Amino acid sequence: MDTPIIVLIVLTSVAVTSPLYGMIFGKKSIKYVQYLTTFSLLVSLVLLISSTLSLTPQESTVPHLLRNDTLGSFFSLMVILVTLFVTITSFDYMKGNSNESIYYSLLLFTAIGMTMLSFAVDLLVIFVAWELMSLPTFILAGYNKQDKLSNEAAVKFFILGALSSGILLYGISLMFGLTGSTNLEVISQSLPSLSPDMLPFIIFSTVSMLAGLGLKLSIVPFHMWIPDTYEGSPTTVSALLSAATKKAGFAAAIRIFAIIFPLFYFDLSLALSIVALVTMTLGNLAALTQKSITRMLAYSSIAQAGYLLIGIVVLPYSDLGLIGLLYHSFNHAILQASAFLAAGLVRLKTSSSSLESYNGLSKVMPITSFCLALSLLGLAGIPPLNGFWSKLVLFAAAVDGGYTWLAFAGLINSAISVAYYLLVIKRMYMDETSLKAMKEPFVFVSILVFASAIIIVTGLLPNVLYDVSENVTMSFLTNNPV
Amino acid sequence: MMVDVSFPLISILIAMPILAGLAIPLLFKNSQKYIIHYAILVALVELAITFYAYGLILTNGSGGEYNFIEGPVSIIGNFGIDYLVGMDGLSGPLVLITSILTLLVLFGSRDLIKDRKVLYYSMIFIFQGSIMGVFTQLNMILFYVFWDIVLIPMFLFIGIWGGPRKRYAAMKFFLFTFVGSIFMLLAFILIYFNVAPHSFNIPEVAGKIPLSLQVISSVLFFIGFGVKLPVVPFHTWLPDAHVEAPAPISVFLAGLLLKMGGYGFLRFNIGLLPEASAQYAWIFILVGIITMFYGAIVAIVQTDIKKMIALTSVNHMGFVMVGAFTGTVFGISGSIFQMFTHAAAVGIMFMLSGYLHEATGTRNITVIKGLKFSSPRLATLLILGSMAAMCIPIFSTFVSEYLVILGAIQVNTIYALIVAVPAITVGYFLWMLRRVVMSDQKPGSKKWDLSNISTLALVLYLVPLVLTLIAPWLILDVANPISIFYTSLVSGGAA
Repeated sequence: MDTPIIVLIVLTSVAVTSPLYGMIFGKKSIKYVQYLTTFSLLVSLVLLISSTLSLTPQESTVPHLLRNDTLGSFFSLMVILVTLFVTITSFDYMKGNSNESIYYSLLLFTAIGMTMLSFAVDLLVIFVAWELMSLPTFILAGYNKQDKLSNEAAVKFFILGALSSGILLYGISLMFGLTGSTNLEVISQSLPSLSPDMLPFIIFSTVSMLAGLGLKLSIVPFHMWIPDTYEGSPTTVSALLSAATKKAGFAAAIRIFAIIFPLFYFDLSLALSIVALVTMTLGNLAALTQKSITRMLAYSSIAQAGYLLIGIVVLPYSDLGLIGLLYHSFNHAILQASAFLAAGLVRLKTSSSSLESYNGLSKVMPITSFCLALSLLGLAGIPPLNGFWSKLVLFAAAVDGGYTWLAFAGLINSAISVAYYLLVIKRMYMDETSLKAMKEPFVFVSILVFASAIIIVTGLLPNVLYDVSENVTMSFLTNNPV
Repeated sequence: MMVDVSFPLISILIAMPILAGLAIPLLFKNSQKYIIHYAILVALVELAITFYAYGLILTNGSGGEYNFIEGPVSIIGNFGIDYLVGMDGLSGPLVLITSILTLLVLFGSRDLIKDRKVLYYSMIFIFQGSIMGVFTQLNMILFYVFWDIVLIPMFLFIGIWGGPRKRYAAMKFFLFTFVGSIFMLLAFILIYFNVAPHSFNIPEVAGKIPLSLQVISSVLFFIGFGVKLPVVPFHTWLPDAHVEAPAPISVFLAGLLLKMGGYGFLRFNIGLLPEASAQYAWIFILVGIITMFYGAIVAIVQTDIKKMIALTSVNHMGFVMVGAFTGTVFGISGSIFQMFTHAAAVGIMFMLSGYLHEATGTRNITVIKGLKFSSPRLATLLILGSMAAMCIPIFSTFVSEYLVILGAIQVNTIYALIVAVPAITVGYFLWMLRRVVMSDQKPGSKKWDLSNISTLALVLYLVPLVLTLIAPWLILDVANPISIFYTSLVSGGAA
């Protein structure tokens, strides 16, 4: 069964038609648009779960464009899951906004882009998917058009996003000029036979692609837009940006770097390891000083990208690297989505996202506080939550790959990060509040509880996801020996 | 001979309190009338199981090896993370004191904890279960997992039920100990990749670690366990945490949390890195001696009785450190014994400081006067507790410190100077007693005294201390086999 094509068809059919319902049937139809969106995402999720778990090779209709492998299924599984969370929580969060049906349609278009990006094995398809993923998010970021911050977020995001697309395309065109193809498999075969004179161009092309991708991966020095955009956009959209689009970017990065790494005559690992170190350190140090939770989570998301990058750094040296990268991507997607959505609920209820408004929150919104605390502890890597295990695998991979100093840096960074995560928990559970108890919307809270359940269960039974990540890694590496 | 039983004894010890704790929010949502009865019942069952396990080890004399082994059950099998537990002569006394202390802490909490009881009691049991996990876990990663779970209840205890500067103290406590634990984790990962076949299980990696890695790991472990023990200069979180924590939690802090550091030093530095520990023993012993003197000397100038006891704890933990690294049977047994006796001796002192605050509204030594008139029972117990903390030979704290000093002298006569530490301790305790208990009564001070049950609960702290003075073999028969084993490891390394 060709899962990617089916998923794309399912999602596209809903995405294209749902704005029409709004136009034809008026405001009343929004409920059906919501149900339809949720349903299409659920169907895709089920398909992707079954194809991730299946170990037999799957056929593809267009193998040179979209390869139907477990790596793609795993990444698109997590992005669809996050999109599903975002969609359902938006029922409450976006209630009463104008053009709601278009909002859901845009969410689906982003999901389509991300799914395509997870499976793409052709540089041009990667680029098209990249644009398909980015363009709807520019609009989503500026969805509150009356809100100045939201506008600023969208403009900043759009300018830098367009720039990144340009740089990415430039890198792709150089690669095409060097090898005569945009297909990753062809490129991997023809790259080693190039004359060493071409090395500067290969490096230039790689760096351009890294810079282009880096904007979405939120690695330093391409991180500038992140805090402003995450703060200005609707918080559900921030959840989507940080938990989903970033992961899809990592899928593309894995596919591209897995073929460039065998060119051992320049040390990409060392360069990337320094980028990883700077990314995690800057993210964590900046997060310490933030006064608003969305900005804090934005910087923490940058720091987490640094941890994930460890997986790419040790890609040529240790299988654990890719396992850890996949494992942590999934955990981070859940944790980050849960944290951002909880912050969104608090923003919805108290119309503030400053850290001050979290004082004594545990008495006002007990379930939300608990879920937020849990996801923050998970992000900090406190055992036995899921974040701990995947971080452990990543740091162990660094040691295994000969980058002990990077593991050490990562551990020190975890210690720094505990400080700011814990400050929020301290505010919620130990400080006093003047607010009165609030009603927590049932649908929204049940998504938070569901995410918390995933955090706890995958934390107590880490082998489930570890084994999946390991199988995915092994089947990917047998097809693409690094 | 290794002892085993037909049921998963250690897993019950770990899981029962945790499950009982998680059940509390469900059971006592509406009425909290019987919450203390439930808690004491759970603690009693746990204590009974502990006595049974400890008795089996004691009667079989099998302290030198792991008993009641369960596992390995794969957690992440391909990555060497297995659930593997066992109890030997090192864990035995610590598991025993954990069960005893939890029960006694519950008696104390009955009087002193008044709000958010559901959260409090459920955290008590999560704390107890994870401490049990720390003392019995033989897989390094799961050891780390339990080690870190312990931090969360303690963070909440200090931060929610603490004194005026509770938030600062809670944050400081968490950050210090978490940062320490990270160094430990790095050492575990390094060990994993440097033994063949790769493993996190302590029995499998023992004796396979190359010397160069042993040296690196012992530095990393020193930071990790040193923060917990604590040793100077990593001790600064301890006075803050103790002063702010409510009295029953101080008992946990001093009685159990600090023991995690001592346990870590013995289990990992001595058990896994014997050669490095033998080579650099003098550094560790020196740090231990500095810690004792520092704790003792700084305690002299304290006006807050609780801070004084906290620093006494630092001073006693110095003995654990020195004893462990002497690499002699006397030293190691003494160090295990010291961990056991210290928990009870300092436990009663912390509880008394809590009651003292209830009685007089302050813990300031210079303000409280004439306690023998206003609260005779409290005064009597304060004198007895101080005697235990001073290591007067009617309590077994004397035996344990004596063993450590004996072990230290065996290594080098110059270490005999640590005899001065108990002398300093006696000095400031007597001074405190003279000012607080033996002074004239302030006019107009109210009478306040302990209830019968509280008095009985406090006397229970002294029972193990007297019992193990009369019959030190109760601990030593369990601890000696493992000390002999560790001594052979360390002396093998030195040769």
